[in-house]
Amino acid sequence: MSRDISLDAIRTCLEGVIPAAIATTDSEGMPNVSVLSQVHYMDPTHVALSYQFFNKTRRNILANPHAMLQVIDPGTVAQYRLRVRYLRTETSGPLFESMRAKLAGIASHTGMAGVFRLLGADVFEALGIEEVPGATLPVLARNRSLPAATRRCCERLSACTDLEELLDRTISDLRDLFGVEHAMILIADESAGRLYTVASLGYSASGIGSEIAFGDGVIGVAAREHTAIRITHATSDYAYGRAARDSSRELGAPGGEATEIPFPGLANPHSQLAVPIRVGKELIGVLFTESREAMRFCYDDEDALATVAALLGTMIHIMRQPAAAVEAVTEAPTAAAEPSGAPALLCHHAADDSVFIDHQYLIKGVAGAILWWLVRQHAQHARTDFSNRELRLAPCIRLPEAAENLEARLILLRRRLAERCDILGIEKTGRGRFRLVVRRPLALKEMP
Amino acid sequence: MMDQPECLSRELIAFLKGDISIMLASGDRTGLPTLGRALACDVSADGRRLTVFLAAKPNAALLSAIADSARVALVVNRPSTHRSIQLKGWDAEVAPAGEGAAAAVARHGAGFCRDVGLIGFDEAFSRTLMAHDPDDLAAVTFTPVAAFDQTPGPRAGGPVGP
Repeated sequence: MSRDISLDAIRTCLEGVIPAAIATTDSEGMPNVSVLSQVHYMDPTHVALSYQFFNKTRRNILANPHAMLQVIDPGTVAQYRLRVRYLRTETSGPLFESMRAKLAGIASHTGMAGVFRLLGADVFEALGIEEVPGATLPVLARNRSLPAATRRCCERLSACTDLEELLDRTISDLRDLFGVEHAMILIADESAGRLYTVASLGYSASGIGSEIAFGDGVIGVAAREHTAIRITHATSDYAYGRAARDSSRELGAPGGEATEIPFPGLANPHSQLAVPIRVGKELIGVLFTESREAMRFCYDDEDALATVAALLGTMIHIMRQPAAAVEAVTEAPTAAAEPSGAPALLCHHAADDSVFIDHQYLIKGVAGAILWWLVRQHAQHARTDFSNRELRLAPCIRLPEAAENLEARLILLRRRLAERCDILGIEKTGRGRFRLVVRRPLALKEMP
Repeated sequence: MMDQPECLSRELIAFLKGDISIMLASGDRTGLPTLGRALACDVSADGRRLTVFLAAKPNAALLSAIADSARVALVVNRPSTHRSIQLKGWDAEVAPAGEGAAAAVARHGAGFCRDVGLIGFDEAFSRTLMAHDPDDLAAVTFTPVAAFDQTPGPRAGGPVGP
């Protein structure tokens, strides 16, 4: 059997579009053949098979680890035989979760939701691959070159000088270079076990500030497991909208008022891809794309976005370094305009740092604490110009992660104010400096 | 499970003659399994013997293993419903396909196209998958001695009565 064909060359066969077949033999040499719903690409020499039922195939591979698979390319109809050897079974962790999510999509697509259930990921070494001689259809060329888009995107991201520019550039490149229509970037708050949205693309409401708990939907599982989670067909198993709303309700809003920014995701996505943004072993956030089209994101798309996410992680890490956060005033701030008109009422609930403006929920958590501190400084000292450094040092702002995500919290707050509040605003005045814009007089009220 | 060679049930024969996908497997002398796609299957008049037709050259290793070991496992499944039955035999013989093979292959090919058409695969796909050289057909004939239900679900792996 030829070793010339690598698993990389036949990844389109391993998307679960067409079931594969597996042949095994028992200790007496009696063959067994069965249909397999999922053969998962791991790396150039390993695949993982879904273990769903304790059946003859499973008994056989435990007795004789050698098996043969036959798979089909759904586009060209080329068939390949893979000689494989069973190594181990994984019942939790990144590989298991990646397969579980994808299998949920396959199950739902093929009418087997509730029947297909992953018990384990059986890892096999690919010993050889041969193409079965036969007729094929011509290969359809992709309209986009993913490596070219990835390279261009990485070059542009490398040139960004601050976090906001980096987030905006990522979103616009996903749209312009990768043809993505719906995307989000979320930043992790490890201590709270949650992610908050700081940038989005293609939703009727931006959802800036909305939160997802680790473990909820593809985004939450990608964050918890530090692995890419990709679904190629619609499935209700990973519907995060409801889960996100429910977990938010459990927190309980003071006074029973809603303190939830609705999660913006598509109601009926057919494809979803969530890639962790990391630096070293630390989770920084999640890059997420989705589509109403089935099979929109394949292995190559996952690799491309994982590469972009890797650079994002590195860039964010660099931008957090003290040298990069030189708090130089780049231009002399002009005088702030005076507030005018009827006073606006700002209420703060200390329990969750939620802030309401004229009884409308605005923000909570760390971003809420930052806003409350700023408006109090404004009320007590008539201050409008601030630096990131004094925010880091302010004792009443409880930054949960060593102040590293302050910049992301400020971006979230600035965007939320721009979307929801015409009374307050935040404007950058230089690197590490910003101005609080107060357009009407404020009445501040601390709630019990 | 059928302990002794018995005739296949009428229901099972009807399933085998329906719109199905067929994979055939065997093992060589060293215990290495091998498999290939079949193009049609036919049941003998007495319901005791099965003949499976497949392209010979693309499945040379499989046919050689069958000729060597006489052991086969056959899985027939209906893609649109996931119903899946496995049959096993240990007296398989390989021979060039005789008269009647072409008609069986054509009939089966049409049925396969029909069924995968129900789940969204177009005719170009299914006809390409079933394409073969009509002068390169082999026949594998065996007596099914065991049948198992492999439809995904709680009954998967259970024996099927005659």
